[in-house]
Amino acid sequence: MKVVLAAMAVTLLTTFADRVDAQAIPAPPVQGASAPDPSEIVGEPSGKRLTGEALELETKRVSSLLRCPVCQGLSVFDSPAEMARNMKIEVRDLLARGYTGEQIMKYFETSYGEFVRLQPPLRGVNWLVWISPLIALLVGGWIMLVRLRSRPKASVRSDESLESSEPVDESLAPYLASVRRMAYDTPDESKTPLPPNAGPVTGRDQT
Amino acid sequence: MNRRVLLAGLAITIPAILLFVVSLGRDPHKVRSPLVGRVAPDFTLLQAGSGAVVKLSSLRGKPVVLNFWATWCVPCFAEHGVLTEASRQLGPNVQFLGVVYDDKEEKILQFLRENGSAYPTLNDGGGKTAIAYGVYGVPETFFIDPSGKIVAKYEGPLTPQLLESNLQKTAGRS
Repeated sequence: MKVVLAAMAVTLLTTFADRVDAQAIPAPPVQGASAPDPSEIVGEPSGKRLTGEALELETKRVSSLLRCPVCQGLSVFDSPAEMARNMKIEVRDLLARGYTGEQIMKYFETSYGEFVRLQPPLRGVNWLVWISPLIALLVGGWIMLVRLRSRPKASVRSDESLESSEPVDESLAPYLASVRRMAYDTPDESKTPLPPNAGPVTGRDQT
Repeated sequence: MNRRVLLAGLAITIPAILLFVVSLGRDPHKVRSPLVGRVAPDFTLLQAGSGAVVKLSSLRGKPVVLNFWATWCVPCFAEHGVLTEASRQLGPNVQFLGVVYDDKEEKILQFLRENGSAYPTLNDGGGKTAIAYGVYGVPETFFIDPSGKIVAKYEGPLTPQLLESNLQKTAGRS
């Protein structure tokens, strides 16, 4: 059992060591070989050749705008994946050759699709992505405003004029008129006088 | 008021349910390659071991099966047997090309010694060709028709059935 475990550990360590080694040292392009030429896709370089710190800063900026195809949630700059590492090297290489950031974005977009851009460009249906939060905010704000404005009016109406505005059941109208006549000497609702005393009118007071 | 709330709720939930139903079963990680339908990016790579130069555009006139793989990729191991066998069967009618993504020459040669080889295996040191083809991971296979246009892309290990169905696309049959 121990022998099997030891063999497994050795195998794992060997495999891991190989992967670390492969990631630590980028494989150089094979001499005499040539990868597809970006100029056939995005034209000749239209920027200036970058070197030194400017090259590093622009490499960071551009690779931060590219989505890592393996991790998908991370930019090429942030991703530790081997594919992202190669893409970052490619970005640096293209910047050193004089390609602009936008040319490089277009080059990657040609092979990976618009998906490779972490920020969808403002065109076509992508506008929805940018403006839908604003629309949702405006519509939500408008609904809240309407609600808040209508609420106090409703409460005042119920306090002040509930008695007079309540619909009256037609079948009860004669009884209501009779009660009013007994209480106020008139069946007319609009001419209802205030009771002589400030207190409520009760049956005992009437007698 | 309740009716308005109901309508507003339906207006939100029905599109969400439709979107869910339509997207069900789709792999969200898979994105259609924009290269399908376009001319395959040309490259010149050296054959592992011999150093012979292979230029993709020089192979026009017959279908090309362009397979990106690596020695450290476990699914590539089984797929290598499928591609080798198919290459032997189809002979010169279909050109198979293996492009090894970011790997070491000695490991490639060792792999080929142990598992056999029936078609050129090219070394894509630095992975620049893989990037130009929008490769996400290995194995990935591009099917190129005799005019040099990419007609299909398959992500993952190919089986004999998948290989045959995709090869039919290179002959204009789908």
